[in-house]
Amino acid sequence: LPAGLSQWFPALEVLDVSGTGLTEMGTELLSLPCLHTLLAKNNRLGGPGSLPKGLGQAPLARSLRVLNLSGNRFSEVPPSLLQLRGLRSLSLGGNRLHGIPPDIQELQSLEFLYLGGNFITAIPPELAKLPCLRYLVLCDNKIQSIPPQLAQLHSLRSLSLHNNLLTYLPREILNLVHLEELSLRGNPLVVRFVRDLTYNPPSLQELAGRTIKTRNIPYTPSDLPESLVRYLSLASNCPNPKCGGVYFDSCVRQIKFVDFCGKYRLPLMHYLCSPECSSPFSSASQSSTSQSESDSEDEASVAAHRMQKVLLG
Amino acid sequence: FRYTRNLVDNGNGKFNLMILCWGEGHGSSIHDHTDSHCFMKILQGNLKETLFEWPEKKGNGEMVKKSERVLRENQCAYINDSIGLHRVENISHTEPAVSLHLYSPPFNTCNTFDQRTGHKHKVTMTFYSQFGERTVC
Repeated sequence: LPAGLSQWFPALEVLDVSGTGLTEMGTELLSLPCLHTLLAKNNRLGGPGSLPKGLGQAPLARSLRVLNLSGNRFSEVPPSLLQLRGLRSLSLGGNRLHGIPPDIQELQSLEFLYLGGNFITAIPPELAKLPCLRYLVLCDNKIQSIPPQLAQLHSLRSLSLHNNLLTYLPREILNLVHLEELSLRGNPLVVRFVRDLTYNPPSLQELAGRTIKTRNIPYTPSDLPESLVRYLSLASNCPNPKCGGVYFDSCVRQIKFVDFCGKYRLPLMHYLCSPECSSPFSSASQSSTSQSESDSEDEASVAAHRMQKVLLG
Repeated sequence: FRYTRNLVDNGNGKFNLMILCWGEGHGSSIHDHTDSHCFMKILQGNLKETLFEWPEKKGNGEMVKKSERVLRENQCAYINDSIGLHRVENISHTEPAVSLHLYSPPFNTCNTFDQRTGHKHKVTMTFYSQFGERTVC
């Protein structure tokens, strides 16, 4: 960026330096108090000096709303970027990111996040702590699973997951009441009904913990070592409505198909407390070639209301 | 949050001329063209077109890709149901795309297809805007 930029154009609100071959953006940015949109796509940014130091203390930290760094060479999200607390829209599409930093949760005003076309393998659960996020794009990456915490993104309206490595989705995805669009094509989603994927028999500690929880045996923090008190607080309820059981670590992962929009079948991951604990509505057949019929009627009707557009095909 | 269809001219009922605006990463489903002619011209950016065979009557498997190509600015394409089905996508993560579409006769329903199974589903297509005015749902 040319030196003296902020002296010549102190009232600058929108700066577009896309396609200029920039390798770094320096301190000239720090003295632009009115800048709300910075477009720097298709450059050669990504190295150490890409963003100036002291970004968090500059007026830019509060004024910048839109930042587009797509088509550059970032292999990680620069930590200084996370100090831009006023940011509403961030694009890092088409870079070389291998992951998303947990501190992404610092961007509390973020509504639009585009991370398509990178090499991201996993999503940190901290991404779910963005209360204003409405549009999340994660297509064309290498993502193998979605953390169930993403269901906490109450404002999410559009989620793009196409062309990844997903085999199933967490059932919590049904909790995203405002979600209107979901793209899933190009994922190796499980097509056939798969029962009883894995089951490691529970440890004695787990069996004792289950007994305490299901029989409501009272205890106080002074009765047990702190580690066991913490362990007991991690109990999860078996989703089978007819089962009153709980589980800690030992559970059966079962893939269950739920209808969205009455047409598309998506494999959702269920955790049940044991292989015997199946959902009361699930078919017991081992259908091999045809897709299994809609299992839980309740779940299907709930899902149909909540998901309006699933771009699966 | 998806590509928009913006009607420009309805040719006295003989055709629909519309402009489609595709954001980064936006794509369509696999669809047919309800026995109409479909012309497409790229006005800005690039669009990838993937052609598919019609699924078998009793088909229950992955749909068969015939070919794919990337259409550049000013390039034109044509399709109708006898040629096959297609999916159109803006695969760029940095540039939006704009295309001009001519359908004759006009149609407002078509079938979308699940690539994994060949199952089809009839849908009604809507316009984001018509003659410059935002369409209220």
